[in-house]
Amino acid sequence: MTRPGETQPTEESLTGLFQEEWPRLVSAGLRITGDLQAAEDVVQETLLTALDRWPLQGIPDSPGAWLMTACRNRARNAARDAGRERRALTSVQPAGAAQEPPDPDPAVIEDDQMRLIALCCHPALGTDAQIALTLRMVGGLSTEEIARGFHQPVTAIAQRIVRAKRTLRQHQAGLSDAGADLAGRLPAVLDVVYLIFNEGYLATGGQALTRGELAFEAYRLACLLTRLAPGLPEPWALLGLLSFQLSRWVTRTGPDGAILTLDAQDRARWNAGLIADGTAALGRARGHGQRGPLLLQAELAACHATAPTFEQTDWAAIVILYDELARIQDTPVVSLNRAVAVAMRDGPAAGIALLDPLTREPVLAGSHRVWAVRADLHRRAGDHARAADDYDRALHLVTNDAERRYLAAARSSLPHDQARQSGKD
Amino acid sequence: MSEFLLLAIRPPSRGEVSPAGVARDLAAAAAWQEWLRRWGLLRSFGLPDGPAGGVRACLIVRASSPAAAGQLAAGWTGVSGCPVTVTELCAATAAGQGGSR
Repeated sequence: MTRPGETQPTEESLTGLFQEEWPRLVSAGLRITGDLQAAEDVVQETLLTALDRWPLQGIPDSPGAWLMTACRNRARNAARDAGRERRALTSVQPAGAAQEPPDPDPAVIEDDQMRLIALCCHPALGTDAQIALTLRMVGGLSTEEIARGFHQPVTAIAQRIVRAKRTLRQHQAGLSDAGADLAGRLPAVLDVVYLIFNEGYLATGGQALTRGELAFEAYRLACLLTRLAPGLPEPWALLGLLSFQLSRWVTRTGPDGAILTLDAQDRARWNAGLIADGTAALGRARGHGQRGPLLLQAELAACHATAPTFEQTDWAAIVILYDELARIQDTPVVSLNRAVAVAMRDGPAAGIALLDPLTREPVLAGSHRVWAVRADLHRRAGDHARAADDYDRALHLVTNDAERRYLAAARSSLPHDQARQSGKD
Repeated sequence: MSEFLLLAIRPPSRGEVSPAGVARDLAAAAAWQEWLRRWGLLRSFGLPDGPAGGVRACLIVRASSPAAAGQLAAGWTGVSGCPVTVTELCAATAAGQGGSR
């Protein structure tokens, strides 16, 4: 035990401890109480007890074990109280029916965490609800933190979580059925984690390009998934993908918050440790012989992360990977990214030819991205009038302020006469 | 110097708890209580075994006056977010005595 007066743990180390223990405690509480809200309540009470005791008594030698014991005791009390209430209401509960579950071994606790994640991604919940519930129950983020991450009102997120819990209760969803359908829910779980990451990596709204808390929370969840399901390739592929993306985190914007594209980033500042982690995770994912969408996206990210310079990027390999990805996930977004790679390999005209039909895709036409990409290719092809048109469309649709500033700067850097000519069209 | 009992009562609704929030509060509380110890102001403490009328913890502290004890109570409220009551226990405790549990 860390005695009072000895070197105290830092806020950072305590945050890491509580974040790591949170899903373990929620799933342990859920196994005993059978109710997500009751489980969340006992975990909150447990942490508050630690908050009261640890500063005075010192940090226990095994803080995780201390928290688990305290949580399970509280959960048992809560379950007993709830059982007494039910018996008082019905008076038909046979004596001795409320048996306490035995203490689970560590493997069961780990399995229960995985089941908890699967429960949060129950098919009866919409994607928004799955994301909010996962961040609260697995990530331990407060409603306010989630709302801040997604630039939404706290009340909206709170209602989403309350409704999600109610839906799970109505479906009598628990750890057991989540465990039974673990493999079936894994794609939804991975999707949710990747969506959280994407929102953090490239915010859809707000002033900043990124929201670190969401991106790093998703990375933490991906790490957790690889620990809980080390034999499955997809979590490793996701971890590889996120590691490569995060390796560029600090170089994606300049000191003034302006976007720096890949060719303008200082590769010496990319995080070599994360690139090494990503390469190792990718190796684990490759070992299974299946090449799913996440693995291919991780391979694509690896091409960028391991290229010594922008000019030395292997665009031919990237096009081949996009071809492979399009065969199993033929979406407009994949086509858009493939068009960029083709433009880099064969020149802007080849990319523009692929982009033209994509501007009519309903999924893309309402987003600024396809117009921003085509504007850039027109600019590089020397067609500044068309570039100006497309920048204008992109600027009309973009919702992130950092991206808007980037597009506006690109638009204003076009040769003046031709851009103005476009304005008259 | 006199001894005072500081009693922290959990507010009826603390709101939602998150790992990061608890870690921040715990680090602040540990630092504050360490400060009390370093200056020899913390004589003793008590913690309830279970829910005890919302009591979180009580401290017996040394202070030169009720006003000084009130300042310590305000400091505890600042790091815990809990209302803290102050009760004077006895006067004229010799300086330098005790200082631990």
